[in-house]
Amino acid sequence: MQTHTADSHSAPVADDAWLPSACALCYASCSIRAHRVDGTVVKIEGNPDSVVGKGRLCGKGVTGIMTQYDPNRLTKPLRRTNPKKGLGEDPGWKEISWDEALDEIAAVLERVRQEDPRKLVVQRTTTVSASGMPFRAFSAAFGTPNVSASGGGIHCGNGAHLISGTMHASWSVVPDFAYCNYAMYFGASKGHAAGHASGSNMGLAADARARGMKMVVVDPMANFAGAKATEWVPIRVGTDAALALSMAQVMVRELGIYDRAYLQAKTNGAYLIGADQRYVRDAASNQPLVWDTAAGVARPFSEVAAADMALEGSFSAGGRDCEPAFAKLKAHLAKFTPEWAETVCTVPAKNIRRLAAEFASEACIGSTIVIEGVTLPYRPVAAIAFRGNQGHLNSNYNFIAVDLLNQLVGAADVVGSCLGFNPACKGFPENGRLRYLPKPDADGLMVAGMWLGFHYPYPPTEPRLPQNLGLQDLFVMGLNSIFINSSDQEAFWQKFDLPYRPEVLINFGANLVMAIGNGEVVAKSLERYKFMVSFDLFLTETSQFADIVLPDASYLQMTDSRANFPFMFSLPGGMGEWCWPIRQQIVPLDGEQRRFTDVLLDLADRMGMRTDLNAAYNAAMNLQAPYRLEGDRPYSYEEICDADLKSNFGAERGLDWFKQHGLIKWKKQPQEVYWRPFLDVRVPIYWEFLGPVWEGINTICAPRGIDIAKEYYAPLPDFLPCHSHRCTKPGFDFYAFYYRDVLHTNSFTMENPWLDEAASLDPFSYTIAINEQSARERGLRDGQSVWVTSESGRRVKGRLRLTQAVHPDGLGIAACAGHWSSGMPVAKGKGVFFNELLEVDFEHVSPINLSLDLCVKASLTPA
Amino acid sequence: MRWGMVIDLKRCIACYGCQLACKAEHGTPPGVFFARVLKHEEGQFPSVRQLFLPVLCNHCEEPPCVDVCPTGASSKNDADGIVSIDPDVCVGCRSCMMACPYSNRYFNDKPQHYFPQGPTPFEQRRGADHQRDVVMKCNFCKDRVAAGKEPACVANCVTVARVFGDLDDPNSEVSRLIKERGGFPLHPELGTKPSVYYLPA
Repeated sequence: MQTHTADSHSAPVADDAWLPSACALCYASCSIRAHRVDGTVVKIEGNPDSVVGKGRLCGKGVTGIMTQYDPNRLTKPLRRTNPKKGLGEDPGWKEISWDEALDEIAAVLERVRQEDPRKLVVQRTTTVSASGMPFRAFSAAFGTPNVSASGGGIHCGNGAHLISGTMHASWSVVPDFAYCNYAMYFGASKGHAAGHASGSNMGLAADARARGMKMVVVDPMANFAGAKATEWVPIRVGTDAALALSMAQVMVRELGIYDRAYLQAKTNGAYLIGADQRYVRDAASNQPLVWDTAAGVARPFSEVAAADMALEGSFSAGGRDCEPAFAKLKAHLAKFTPEWAETVCTVPAKNIRRLAAEFASEACIGSTIVIEGVTLPYRPVAAIAFRGNQGHLNSNYNFIAVDLLNQLVGAADVVGSCLGFNPACKGFPENGRLRYLPKPDADGLMVAGMWLGFHYPYPPTEPRLPQNLGLQDLFVMGLNSIFINSSDQEAFWQKFDLPYRPEVLINFGANLVMAIGNGEVVAKSLERYKFMVSFDLFLTETSQFADIVLPDASYLQMTDSRANFPFMFSLPGGMGEWCWPIRQQIVPLDGEQRRFTDVLLDLADRMGMRTDLNAAYNAAMNLQAPYRLEGDRPYSYEEICDADLKSNFGAERGLDWFKQHGLIKWKKQPQEVYWRPFLDVRVPIYWEFLGPVWEGINTICAPRGIDIAKEYYAPLPDFLPCHSHRCTKPGFDFYAFYYRDVLHTNSFTMENPWLDEAASLDPFSYTIAINEQSARERGLRDGQSVWVTSESGRRVKGRLRLTQAVHPDGLGIAACAGHWSSGMPVAKGKGVFFNELLEVDFEHVSPINLSLDLCVKASLTPA
Repeated sequence: MRWGMVIDLKRCIACYGCQLACKAEHGTPPGVFFARVLKHEEGQFPSVRQLFLPVLCNHCEEPPCVDVCPTGASSKNDADGIVSIDPDVCVGCRSCMMACPYSNRYFNDKPQHYFPQGPTPFEQRRGADHQRDVVMKCNFCKDRVAAGKEPACVANCVTVARVFGDLDDPNSEVSRLIKERGGFPLHPELGTKPSVYYLPA
């Protein structure tokens, strides 16, 4: 490959330039233009050339300057002098040289890699989403599977991502804002605060509102999406499945409205299910059988026209009694009456019936529309769930139940419906690179064409005696795992005879002590590492546990070739354009700051791991000749970015071209955006494969005395209560829950003084939202300081904000605030450290996907 | 001509992009906001409405702040309707702050930079022209407008809730939106004749 010789470390002088790049105040990574004058960035605006944000930025995006120039930024490598680690321990930081730091880290890594590379844990923040590639390559080269993002649970959506992946081949779902007429949000704020493609979605959702899209928001709090809703449906925290299943019951059983043709052609609704809850398969082909109503016999699904597949009835096939999956679903739904659901979720039964009828009617089942000359199914309704819906013990079913509403009316990846973000791409038109499409497995069910993270969402891998610290290779429906930091990690590792223990942690920008759950529990997990190195902008509560802290570059000091790839993560969904922007360095590094990307390469060289790392980049980036990295050649990260860009977009479009142009874009086709009718794939409305998954897990767990609750692995979704719903302790009247604020990203942005100032003025950002009447009944006043105490005795202090916009038994708390590190003085003492209330152990995660439950039954007492 | 702004409350989601884009544009000191977002709720649970109201100087046609200014520092430009403050003439008496019924004027007596360690390189450039102990407020980004750009809060609004234009031109988008969508100013009963209009949520 050609190499490129720009000296990225030299400070630009005497200049006045607008440079295209990418934001990193949250993982949406909107495209920006930064105005640099004589080496100082004086303005950040949205890049109007890009579809990612369309030239506009949210409140967070415009404030990056103040993070860049925060005098509390680290500028020198630090080593601790106090060997004792703990929440109250002063590390006794001493400045050291980079050579000293890197030699020491490389020596530790080299030893561990020789002993057992799995002893290395790599933990990174999702905020800089482009950090995924360098750490993925480094970890792969090193040989550790123990890579974790987003703090291992609370900030990520194990249910949302896995089910979106299984049902929509994408990391997340949105309404097709341009055509949807009736969107129903369950614990989601997409287009109103946070989430994937958040900035882009804000504009699209505003257009939809102006066009007249009805928006029903099911949420314990009417803050972001709820504030802009046509109708707010207050719900008891964590009970979304009860409402959604009851709506499904009304649609299927009371109204008889569902998209029969879609269910036949695009789901496994016609697959015959035996008494054992398994597919009845063809002896010869092993394909699931369907009942062919034309021929009056059971035949392999691929041999029967969809319209001839029976969805209901009782049959006999291969000597076995069986029914179509849809018939099983229909029977299963019978128990979810609106009257029952009201007792669980508090939504009045008459409203449940009305919402179900509205959703079914607005779906326009059977209709089509022409988009750019292509006739497509038109289903202008979408049921959208996200973080709030599935951050519970019942994570999987909560999400499945909501998406079932889409599946019942065929509102899945067609015009106006629930859309996965960009799950189908026919590739860059000039060379066909970047092509990926969902495809069927042997059972006809959809396998995503592109994915991130631990394993594809479907099909599940065979559960095995775990070799990964997070146990995701046992709990194969899980993504992020609490076992990296849980209080019971050692007990579980012992039970599974895990042949190694973690020894070294490389942390990139994550603040684990605050981001996961109870700070003490997480702190104990960090104390156990023999060696920890942390790349940080500031000394956080988590850097205090490091042996060496490395002063990282900000997003304005970095270069990344893929700011918004994979497209299914932060490129807006719907029609428009494919867009590949880069991030480029705007301002020089300060002091001895270095970019983590360069540091990882340097470490690899010191460890003699460069050949493996080059090979790992070739694989992870899918680099093609002549741009594949060769041998142990010491490429700079900019050279690797250059190779990535040329490999995808041609020799003339390397890093220099992208630095000048910022991005490349090309038009999306209707067949890409509305791919569902064009690809012969089905999705499960009957999760037949979960039974075997449970059997596989239970076979390993039961002999070791670990009970895996089978009810979480049933083929049809149910409502299962959280611990909070079962708490009967007197005085514990409230469900405390967490939400993502529009002004803050995880625990990081509270240090930004502009965002902190705005949040201090906002009525809710730093307070505990409580229903006004509930507060007055208890003699509690607006602004009063209170203790929120969990059932297990954990407590946090905060100020009350009385509002009509929260459920009477809810306590809404924003983000993970409440910093105490003196390394982040702006953030220190602001807001409420909600996560302190959360236990971090197996009892408090979903037994199927390891999602940590974020609702806590709590008492309130004056402080 | 008379510059004016229309803010569509249906589109606004209170992301604070305007408030913070304004701060980034003007480098205003702590506690000084030329643009802000207010939150208010109406009704009783569960029939409650959260209302978001982005505010800024209304650049009134009959500005009470100008009337009370003893030095002539506050003035309205009759050529374009922009109300501005000449910091060299302002003596910081704050009469205008009391006269403004919208509380959109700020007295700059707070620390002049955000970090106690001193001004950042950004603040040294962007905030260098700000004077202490004078009143500050939105000037409709008149320097940007003179350069043919929209005010920063308009250009940045991620929900495209803000439109800027000539209220005197009946064919301008602002005039059309006000007419077609029932645009209203804040507190019209005060007779200040604001140049900032709102479209109903």
